[in-house]
Amino acid sequence: SEPEFQQAYEEVVSSLEDSTLFEQHPEYRKVLPIVSVPERIIQFRVTWENDKGEQEVAQGYRVQYNSAKGPYKGGLRFHPSVNLSILKFLGFEQIFKNSLTGLDMGGGKGGLCVDLKGRSNNEIRRICYAFMRELSRHIGQDTDVPAGDIGVGGREIGYLFGAYRSYKNSWEGVLTGKGLNWGGSLIRPEATGYGLVYYTQAMIDYATNGKESFEGKRVTISGSGNVAQYAALKVIELGGTVVSLSDSKGCIISETGITSEQVADISSAKVNFKSLEQIVNEYSTFSENKVQYIAGARPWTHVQKVDIALPCATQNEVSGEEAKALVAQGVKFIAEGSNMGSTPEAIAVFETARSTATGPSEAVWYGPPKAANLGGVAVSGLEMAQNSQRITWTSERVDQELKRIMINCFNECIDYAKKYTKDGKVLPSLVKGANIASFIKVSDAMFDQGDVF
Amino acid sequence: MTSEPEFQQAYDEIVSSVEDSKIFEKFPQYKKVLPIVSVPERIIQFRVTWENDNGEQEVAQGYRVQFNSAKGPYKGGLRFHPSVNLSILKFLGFEQIFKNALTGLDMGGGKGGLCVDLKGKSDNEIRRICYAFMRELSRHIGKDTDVPAGDIGVGGREIGYLFGAYRSYKNSWEGVLTGKGLNWGGSLIRPEATGFGLVYYTQAMIDYATNGKESFEGKRVTISGSGNVAQYAALKVIELGGIVVSLSDSKGCIISETGITSEQIHDIASAKIRFKSLEEIVDEYSTFSESKMKYVAGARPWTHVSNVDIALPCATQNEVSGDEAKALVASGVKFVAEGANMGSTPEAISVFETARSTATNAKDAVWFGPPKAANLGGVAVSGLEMAQNSQKVTWTAERVDQELKKIMINCFNDCIQAAQEYSTEKNTNTLPSLVKGANIASFVMVADAMLDQGDVF
Repeated sequence: SEPEFQQAYEEVVSSLEDSTLFEQHPEYRKVLPIVSVPERIIQFRVTWENDKGEQEVAQGYRVQYNSAKGPYKGGLRFHPSVNLSILKFLGFEQIFKNSLTGLDMGGGKGGLCVDLKGRSNNEIRRICYAFMRELSRHIGQDTDVPAGDIGVGGREIGYLFGAYRSYKNSWEGVLTGKGLNWGGSLIRPEATGYGLVYYTQAMIDYATNGKESFEGKRVTISGSGNVAQYAALKVIELGGTVVSLSDSKGCIISETGITSEQVADISSAKVNFKSLEQIVNEYSTFSENKVQYIAGARPWTHVQKVDIALPCATQNEVSGEEAKALVAQGVKFIAEGSNMGSTPEAIAVFETARSTATGPSEAVWYGPPKAANLGGVAVSGLEMAQNSQRITWTSERVDQELKRIMINCFNECIDYAKKYTKDGKVLPSLVKGANIASFIKVSDAMFDQGDVF
Repeated sequence: MTSEPEFQQAYDEIVSSVEDSKIFEKFPQYKKVLPIVSVPERIIQFRVTWENDNGEQEVAQGYRVQFNSAKGPYKGGLRFHPSVNLSILKFLGFEQIFKNALTGLDMGGGKGGLCVDLKGKSDNEIRRICYAFMRELSRHIGKDTDVPAGDIGVGGREIGYLFGAYRSYKNSWEGVLTGKGLNWGGSLIRPEATGFGLVYYTQAMIDYATNGKESFEGKRVTISGSGNVAQYAALKVIELGGIVVSLSDSKGCIISETGITSEQIHDIASAKIRFKSLEEIVDEYSTFSESKMKYVAGARPWTHVSNVDIALPCATQNEVSGDEAKALVASGVKFVAEGANMGSTPEAISVFETARSTATNAKDAVWFGPPKAANLGGVAVSGLEMAQNSQKVTWTAERVDQELKKIMINCFNDCIQAAQEYSTEKNTNTLPSLVKGANIASFVMVADAMLDQGDVF
């Protein structure tokens, strides 16, 4: 009765089976039945007073999945779709992603099955306080450090932090994604986008033996939110040409390159819920520049010759057909800014183009979300580090650490792929590399500490 | 919710019983309690792993449902069995809230367990399982927070290991579990509690129905079962002057029209520890040699006894069918009180309740005491064990017995009062329904505590 979780578990297992890991080290098999059971799940009753003075009730959850690598860490989701299967699925994935950051973070996930739509600010504050009344018993800066997720943004993190502080009488780094003014980290909004570009940079560097970089590369990006915006800005800073962005209504294509001024305008207009179509028509930075707007389309089949594709919008936004089109247009590097942006068919297209390539000019290289977009959670980890020190780092310092984390993660994916997989003459599989590397890190911590024997 | 059939059924039963009364009409605010009380305050699920005797790791799913703490620390048993899942534990925990409320002691409701098959496991493995289970559970329980007890698969040995584990992990010797050994915090009268309590409750029924004119004296009592509950119920009946005409086990029953003696019951008690069947006992023990005892193989006693006044099902679930209930009524039964949980089938209960509600006067009525009330002596003495632990004092057997009796009589009076106040039954010449009385009384006690403390508003 837990379809989402079952699928996630089977994917991890089949990916490991498709390597020589269990052949070389059969003892790792013993980890599977243990790591798949959460260390602890807490389900609790959450009740609050709505604006009419009536009582409402909802089901709260925290899945504390694995703490071998550090305090449980993972987002809180407030949404009507929240149930145990989905939270177990997300928490399970989080264990492995977090381990790839190299920071001390375990895996977890939590949430509340509630529809926040149409609720007043006061009600949302009461809901957050009611939720934290129970959750505060189970978390702490060295125990479990939740973050935001769907339905839990800056405002909710603020209320949740205030509630924790009030119930426990302790000002501590118990949540991440906090306001800059009260324990937050710089570079948090930029983290996923910047991290994605650093990871891609490492891919280019490796594949070309240091001969190439973003300089002069044509980059198609989807999305226009935080991740897409900062990825685009970083690409431009590094000398690349951003030929597209998109939103749920359509996409913009610029063969000469979207400028950083245009990205800044998109950024400020998106806060006011403007669509790309409106922005292109209304903002002066777009008036002289040849930007084409295509309604109801994703950018992949509308860009000409591209070198790099960065899906940064939502799930399942690159189909198998679109993946083929991208390969036909000359794409060499794909790295996922969104979770599950590429469909399984699209990933198969990219991975096949990699493993069947006979020379560097043919190879296509795919960076999986687990590794490529972990910049967000990595800076959450850095927020925890700063909170523990009771110090706020400069943005340069955070950015530098982020870059180092992304490069280390890339190197680990490479090392483990080479050690435990054989496919691909030109380039190793980063998909398998990320799965194997993260599984081994978590497993080793569990073995060393006696969680598995 | 849809995937929790056992829990859903238990919830629907309480709701329909409360809706079938004047309670929501008189106090509409109680309706607001339902959506809140049906969600457990907290559920903890956890990974339990241990080393088996082959040096291999095993893993199982542990649970604790902390359902309601308005009336006191969460209280309810731990079950170690392969059938353990969240739906069953929620069902049992939900029932426990209301049963515990009827004791009048400070106890909330909860239930927990481990999905594991203990069959064939060595003593060492069982110790390791108990320690592994308590490693996590110890974070969530405590004498003022949550006080588990035993249940299926968790007996005296397991309670000992669990208590030792808690003490070691928390460095605290406290009344965190009940059913402890007498030597280390247990209470006297714990084995006797359910059986004695059942008889005290039945005594209160007789007293009320006959206006104090009758008692167990001279009454013919048919009892099923031959375990703890049946044994102590029978001994108490005999002590009070009643005649115990039957006992049973899973293979058959014994019938004695002149009455089973207390010596015979002592022999049964000592033989049952050695897994002897009633058939073997009747053949082998000298106390049975001279007495006119009939053994009936493969039968329950209900249709084999003649002219009985009282029936006390003390064996297992669903052991009184609708037809057997009719036979009991025909052979003159006036009082039925449940020592076993769900001993009577729904059809049997409806036979008894109909015989009550259609009676033209109290003398003709058949009166049914539901398990929620009639067999709460066990958990009541658990509550008294908590009280003794808090005082760091062990009471005498007399003191515990006296308190138990007081609890059973208070519970009976609460059932009567609630039935009279809220029942919608038109026939006022007969006796009030103790089934409805127990459901309503317990619901009101829990609901009031929640409303007073702001759990519901």
